[in-house]
Amino acid sequence: MIRRYSHIFGASLVAIVSLTLYSAPVVADDELDCIMCHKYRGLSRIDEDGEFRLFYINQELFNSGPHRRNQCKDCHNDIDRIPHKPAVKVDCAQQCHIVEPSGEKRFTHESIAETLARSAHGKLDAEGNPKPFQEDYPDCKDCHDQPFYRPVSVDKGTIHPGVSERAVTRCKSCHKNGDFAEDFYEHVTSRLRKTRFPMETIENCAKCHQDPEFRERHELDDVVTSYKQTFHGKLIALGSEKTADCLDCHVVAGENTHLIESQSEPASAVYKTNVPATCGTEGCHTQAGPYLAGFQTHVTYDREKYPMQFYMLIFFKGLIAVVLYFFLALIFFELLRRLFPNFTFIREKR
Amino acid sequence: MNLFKRIVFKLYVLILMGFTVWYGMFMYPLIFGFEGKEEAALSLQELGDGVAADEEMFARLIEEQEHTSRTDLGFKVIEQPYIEGRFHHIGFSVQKDQTSMCVRCHGNIPHDKSVELRSFMNMHAFYLACETCHMPPEEGQPDHEFRWYDKDSGKLVPNPRALHDIEESYRTAARIYPTYGNYGAKIAPGIEENGSFRLLHGKKDMLFVERYISEQGRLTPEKKSQMERVIHRGVSEKPIECKYCHNDQDQFLPFAKLGYPPQWTTELTNSSVVGMIEKYKEFYIPSFLTPGIDEGAD
Amino acid sequence: MSRYEPIIYKDGKRYFYRFSVHQRVQHVILFSMVLLLAITGFPLRHAEEPWAKPLYDFMGGTDLAPLIHRAAGTVLLGLFVYHTIYWIVLFIRNDLGQLKAHGQLNFKTGIKAFFSQEMVPNMRDFHDIVDAWKYLLYFTNRPPRHERMSWREKFDYFAPYWGVPILGPAGVLLWWHDEVTHFIPGIVLNAAYIMHTDEALLAVLFLFFVHWYNVHYAPEKFPAATVWLTGYLTEDEMIHEHYSEYLRVMTEHGLEDEIRPQHFGGQEYEL
Repeated sequence: MIRRYSHIFGASLVAIVSLTLYSAPVVADDELDCIMCHKYRGLSRIDEDGEFRLFYINQELFNSGPHRRNQCKDCHNDIDRIPHKPAVKVDCAQQCHIVEPSGEKRFTHESIAETLARSAHGKLDAEGNPKPFQEDYPDCKDCHDQPFYRPVSVDKGTIHPGVSERAVTRCKSCHKNGDFAEDFYEHVTSRLRKTRFPMETIENCAKCHQDPEFRERHELDDVVTSYKQTFHGKLIALGSEKTADCLDCHVVAGENTHLIESQSEPASAVYKTNVPATCGTEGCHTQAGPYLAGFQTHVTYDREKYPMQFYMLIFFKGLIAVVLYFFLALIFFELLRRLFPNFTFIREKR
Repeated sequence: MNLFKRIVFKLYVLILMGFTVWYGMFMYPLIFGFEGKEEAALSLQELGDGVAADEEMFARLIEEQEHTSRTDLGFKVIEQPYIEGRFHHIGFSVQKDQTSMCVRCHGNIPHDKSVELRSFMNMHAFYLACETCHMPPEEGQPDHEFRWYDKDSGKLVPNPRALHDIEESYRTAARIYPTYGNYGAKIAPGIEENGSFRLLHGKKDMLFVERYISEQGRLTPEKKSQMERVIHRGVSEKPIECKYCHNDQDQFLPFAKLGYPPQWTTELTNSSVVGMIEKYKEFYIPSFLTPGIDEGAD
Repeated sequence: MSRYEPIIYKDGKRYFYRFSVHQRVQHVILFSMVLLLAITGFPLRHAEEPWAKPLYDFMGGTDLAPLIHRAAGTVLLGLFVYHTIYWIVLFIRNDLGQLKAHGQLNFKTGIKAFFSQEMVPNMRDFHDIVDAWKYLLYFTNRPPRHERMSWREKFDYFAPYWGVPILGPAGVLLWWHDEVTHFIPGIVLNAAYIMHTDEALLAVLFLFFVHWYNVHYAPEKFPAATVWLTGYLTEDEMIHEHYSEYLRVMTEHGLEDEIRPQHFGGQEYEL
């Protein structure tokens, strides 16, 4: 919102610099001047359930993502004055004031909400009845915080993160006005790759799927821990972006990331017959043989479910323990022997 | 020399024996690591089993550790405190007040009475010591002097540099977003005596509060009331009101002296802030202004 | 073998032959590859630990470190094959050759010769282990006496000689996971994964403590033994670790009069 108007300030500065040099604060641009208070880091309270509520808005970070062209009121449409009562929870599926340029309609996240509703994460089952443990099913905000742009650039054939000044300069030779070129550049290039670093995606799924109580309620394995034991998980933990995170394998082919189905659904990307195709996705295991699908990804070393792994693990752990603790004991006693070299229970003659 | 050599030898052997034992303990989780994880999960489960909702809430609040979230944009990494359910980003961590005797009991977010004002109060508590508003000078006494003190060490510090950065941001049209309120320091009142300045709340008062907290367990309820009354001595029935500072005539806080640059001072005393206070005066509930002694002392 | 004198003298001190240059070079290749494999492998095994990422980045990050790991693994696997050919050639040329020269080569003597190779465990080792524990637990004042290769050295030898054929092929399967799944079921990769990671843990824990104790930490070795560079043991080391061999070699060279009494790790003991 600030960026959107800063060009106006720029223009007015040039025009009436002598008159209003000090009267054009960059910050006051929304109708209610929300930022007048919300720019203070300490604007906060503790709510009735003991939760810490912080109302601070970091303008710099707010302006680093796709929502920067929205005004506060576009989402928080219940606020009409200040000081205001506690705000109502934002409904992401509502229409905002941004006009969607391809269809000239007002923008909304409604279609995403619809996709989510028919996925494994939807609150209703196939017959339209509420699934048990309703409060466990996610809303937008359970997975998403304020999104950031993650632009990429291609310079001299190398791809690297960040905005390419060279590219933006080219855009700006025609699109001179304001920040349109920067906005558009970041909007498009952020979609050329994942909008989140894989580790963040994994931590996000882990918020529920690693919670033992949650898993018990829904009879789910600890898929996050078992995933982190795979090469996929380990390489991502070491900073790779080239290997598969949760979404790469679990999103239904050809759909957006919000359509994740249970592995028991035939449409699911991880349904038995779909696994080879999922592994062979472009950029992944394209050369793989059909048997790669037989590799077990989420191994929990449960004796009933994964007997081979369980017994191999027991064998190796036993082997390691026996060999090493034997030698550790040997060395310990050898050192002890050196402390009292002349002592012995039975003295032998030469 | 021979004796010395033998002592060194035995010492080395003893150290190696220690190392062997350490290695044995070091290896254990590496070899049997998967059991530890399951045990941890089980113990967590036990914590959550069969307790009432409020007990669970209490247990969770106590157990919960502050942790950070990390967002990697490729060209920069944003690390910030994680707050459950929060949509907007914070971007940086704050320096907590380690030296205020009030914060020791009332915490950093003490205000919660007035629905309309509590967040504003807490916002001010971020850079104003409690005694600034809650312990104004009594009738007939000389005005307080005000200085900034470091939240970490409690020592007096010069006026924060950040105040100038904010002023700079008014003067330029560039995208500069200064940090408001997070100066690592707070304004606190004090008394100028014989040419030297001392804070109203000094180290001595803090020690007194620490002692009270550590011995609370063995005090009788009557004693506790006595002590609390003494600790809260000087806390006024009528705290400083918004308009005392946010007016264009005569401000309670000497903005200029505290390092507030001119344009920002004007903003605080003249235009939108005062306007807001005036415009929404119906929210201003005088009954909220009960003595600080009751405020959050529960 | 005849190139090396069993006993040499330098600065008036006696040194006893152990390893040829050929073997020493193999050892250098072995340990440098193992260390390389460990520092490019363990950050992956413990990817969640705070030290993992800096170390992995230092080793070239997720793009380069796996290549280093695979290259080092290939060299090590090559060394394993080479070493196997090496001892088979030695065995045929020396042991069987000797028997043949004396006209005694048959199936029975051949098998016997196989089991009397210096790195192959035998009954004597069992007795030596019992002797060692008797001494360590103060049941005797007579330290164990070892021949040319003690049972502990045989363990040191078989740690990599058993480890590499477990780790290597498993590593190869994991490396060529796409290609091999045209022929073998995916669950074999699960097995290979467990074999590779757990055997690696055994190898590294053993190396860093047991082997390094034997050659680095032990009071008489600290800070490091030199036999891997020189190929020769000092007389003290010989007496401590290979007293049986010491007695034999000294006798063979007519030095009975100069045989020194046994001691344990540099400490004289009283009989």
